[in-house]
Amino acid sequence: MRLLVPFLFLLAILFLALSADHPRPRADLVIAQRADSFTLDPQRMSWRHDLRTARGLFETLVTLDPKNCAPQPGVAERWDISDQGRTYTFHLRPDSRWSNGEAVTSGDFVYAFRRALLADTAADYSGFLFHLVGGEEFFHWRGQALAEYAKRPVRDDAACAALWQATVEQFSATVGLHTPDDRTLVLTLKHPVAYMLDLLAFAALSPVHAKSVEAHVSFDPSTGRLVQGHDWTKPGKLISNGPYRLVDWRYKRDMRLEANELYWDAKNVRTGSIAIVIIEDANTTVLSAEAGGVDWVTDTLAEYRPEMLAERDRYERHYASELATARANGVSIDQALGRLPPPERGERRNTHGLDSFGTDFYSFNCRPTLSNSAPNPFHDPRVRRAFALAVDRETIVERVTRLGERPANVIVPRDAINGYTSPQGLPFDRVLARAELESAGWKDRDGDGRVENEQGALFPTVDLVYSLGSPRYRDLSFALREMWRATLGVQIVARGKETKDFRDDLKHGHFMIARGGWYGDYGDPTTFLDLSYSTDGNNDRGYVSATFDRMLQDAARELDPAKRLAMLTDAERFLMEEELPILPICTYVTVYMYEPAALTGVNQHPRLAQYFARLKREE
Amino acid sequence: MLSFILRRLAVTPVIVLIVYTITFSLTWLVPGDPLQQDEGRRPPAEIVEAMRKQYKLDDPVGFYVEYLGKASGVAWVLGTSTRPFDLGPSLRHRDWTVNEIIATGLPVSITLGLTAILLALVIGITAGVIGGLRPNGLADLVAQFISLVGISVPSFVVGAAILMLFAAKLQWFPIGGWGDIRFVVLPAFALSLPYSAYIARLVRYGMIEQMTSDYARTARAKGRSRTGVAMRHVLKNAFLPVLSYLGPAAATAMTGSFVVEKVFAVPGIGQHFVDGVVGKDITLVMGVVLVYSTMLVLFNLAVDVMYRYVDPRIEVS
Repeated sequence: MRLLVPFLFLLAILFLALSADHPRPRADLVIAQRADSFTLDPQRMSWRHDLRTARGLFETLVTLDPKNCAPQPGVAERWDISDQGRTYTFHLRPDSRWSNGEAVTSGDFVYAFRRALLADTAADYSGFLFHLVGGEEFFHWRGQALAEYAKRPVRDDAACAALWQATVEQFSATVGLHTPDDRTLVLTLKHPVAYMLDLLAFAALSPVHAKSVEAHVSFDPSTGRLVQGHDWTKPGKLISNGPYRLVDWRYKRDMRLEANELYWDAKNVRTGSIAIVIIEDANTTVLSAEAGGVDWVTDTLAEYRPEMLAERDRYERHYASELATARANGVSIDQALGRLPPPERGERRNTHGLDSFGTDFYSFNCRPTLSNSAPNPFHDPRVRRAFALAVDRETIVERVTRLGERPANVIVPRDAINGYTSPQGLPFDRVLARAELESAGWKDRDGDGRVENEQGALFPTVDLVYSLGSPRYRDLSFALREMWRATLGVQIVARGKETKDFRDDLKHGHFMIARGGWYGDYGDPTTFLDLSYSTDGNNDRGYVSATFDRMLQDAARELDPAKRLAMLTDAERFLMEEELPILPICTYVTVYMYEPAALTGVNQHPRLAQYFARLKREE
Repeated sequence: MLSFILRRLAVTPVIVLIVYTITFSLTWLVPGDPLQQDEGRRPPAEIVEAMRKQYKLDDPVGFYVEYLGKASGVAWVLGTSTRPFDLGPSLRHRDWTVNEIIATGLPVSITLGLTAILLALVIGITAGVIGGLRPNGLADLVAQFISLVGISVPSFVVGAAILMLFAAKLQWFPIGGWGDIRFVVLPAFALSLPYSAYIARLVRYGMIEQMTSDYARTARAKGRSRTGVAMRHVLKNAFLPVLSYLGPAAATAMTGSFVVEKVFAVPGIGQHFVDGVVGKDITLVMGVVLVYSTMLVLFNLAVDVMYRYVDPRIEVS
């Protein structure tokens, strides 16, 4: 009998633990994500899946049209642009309400934008509001004021409150945001910004319910900083103005959204309840989708996904003529696939490799010297061009990355931005590559297959760094190494580093060539071109060109939109045909999984800006 | 007995403090930066600096003392903190405190771990008794082979295999996630295998050894059947090593298995710990380690108490 006691003891704990859990019925739409949301505070977001969830919970002034990503009315039912593109007057719709029934006011936007511009908030996208008159200046003013405050001998609640009072006054006196009334919001820009509406559709600029956020604000008298409590984003507390409201959120498990009946366009919200489940394991994610437990996998990362896409290809080839006819009649690809007979063995139609708004690339260290103060051969643009010319991207996407990517020899994804013409970019040309390298003084002078300079010194062994996060980076780096070795006669050592160390190496310029990549945030070439602006925070390459900086500045001043885009084309041509701080490889592909007949409303525009309200699971 | 428990409880904070200090040094020495992001735009330098100051990431000693004070409840007693046992905010998942993360994940891990341990006891003892009764018989060889497999095949292989078979192919169980008892079965089974294999071996050797002891022979001589002796007299003694193994085993199983949780998408704290280490989420790592070490110490104490209860001859001092 005594032996049973431990068992009974364990059983008792088990029942206690089981009774603590509350499972819920399946939602109308189940979405699988690899990682949980980092935050539901729009102003502090920076991850793409957080921003996607924010588009379900919140509504920005304008939203993006699913077809072409053009701005369309959101909370603002209309707007006027005056003063040569420097003044934007938004008229908020009268029926836009928060999920607690209160009206969404222009003050809520001002409050949210002020949060985004406060150094205390640690907003990643403060820069979007630097276009406002006084925006950037206010951001730095606050930073400065806090730094001075920290040096003061007396730092108490009163001093802290006085500093905050001064900050609020500084903001309303200097930043170009005005609210003539509760339904009118006026933005005054420093200079015309052709893509301002696109920026305002960005989820990090969603309004927040000022009262409920403010209730979780406190101040730290020792630093003078505003401390934002996080509790307002929790279920039951989060007040949102979008198509959905937050019902439940369990860390790294699931999030539950229900349609918000108070949303002004509630009749066009196609799905009642949405569950976002977190499945970290790539294989488990695929199995879940196959078994129907998940309706949409937002990022398929299983190592066998190239094979999955090959099966999809096989299916499409099987029904090529039917698909062509349907497409010719204006039927969307998903609808056309859905009408076909189910896939046979070795075929599939639930896997979709979609072009995204991002570019996979390699970075050249452009600094004159390396981190060990040796001279850097890649400081010379001719050497960078030679390396770029020697890359056979077709082979890479076919044999190495294998997701059906478009090879890219320019940094801005082709055909993803309305009205923008990409430059031609450099071709793959081994002869030209060798000639470029020779013009930079590197030539095989003694016939040993390796290049030397005039003094007979070998080309320094190239330090090629990649992160160990995914086998893709390793395979890509090895492929490039072989191409460069064979074509250019240089020695290359490929160094795989843990992501954390990799970042340190990038930051300290401890590389010659490093893996990189970038996703655009808004529909304008500058979202990619700014990376090479000399003072940009993401300019890992240490690339400094007064010419390129000036080209970007000139374009920013141009009022005529078409002319401005043409100037950006020139800037990109300069960057991608002459300078090559960045070596583009291919456009990123995002692999979605969903049954084309069972899930409708998925946006296939390269920006992949999905709005939950437009999705629906068909029975 | 009571003084024994009290004495053990008194040294618990010392043990946990040592664990805290070691873990703290290790997490601090690991390269990387919790404020850096894998994706997305980098915040301006002054913002990173501000956060570094706010979380005391520029001051290890200050962090060590402040965190210890808040986590242990001392700060609360002294009135400098509003909550007892405050494990701080997660540095990566900004909307969550470590307390909330552990409160969500721990019941899940406990459920999974306990089910696994119970399964392991049932499977392990059965296999061990079968083997111990007829050593080197057919049943014993089969049981031994299975337990060898259970110990040596890593759980991500077993996990993926049973997930494919029972969930994807046969569709008896849901694929991944968490909810009612159906979600628990497969991951608990996968998690239980190494434990049941170990228990089977402990019981088998214990049985074989005990069956040749004097009291077992006496009982046999008095006419009891072999099975009767085994169940009535021998099993109890053969079970004692299992009991001492049970403490650490239960603590390990209940604080989560990273691999099993990942394969079956179980939202327990095992994966939070690994994610915390990878993302250098110092507060999360410290919080999980503190909870884990406290549980380990308490479970070992519970086992010692139970030991004494099962076998009163054992001196607990």
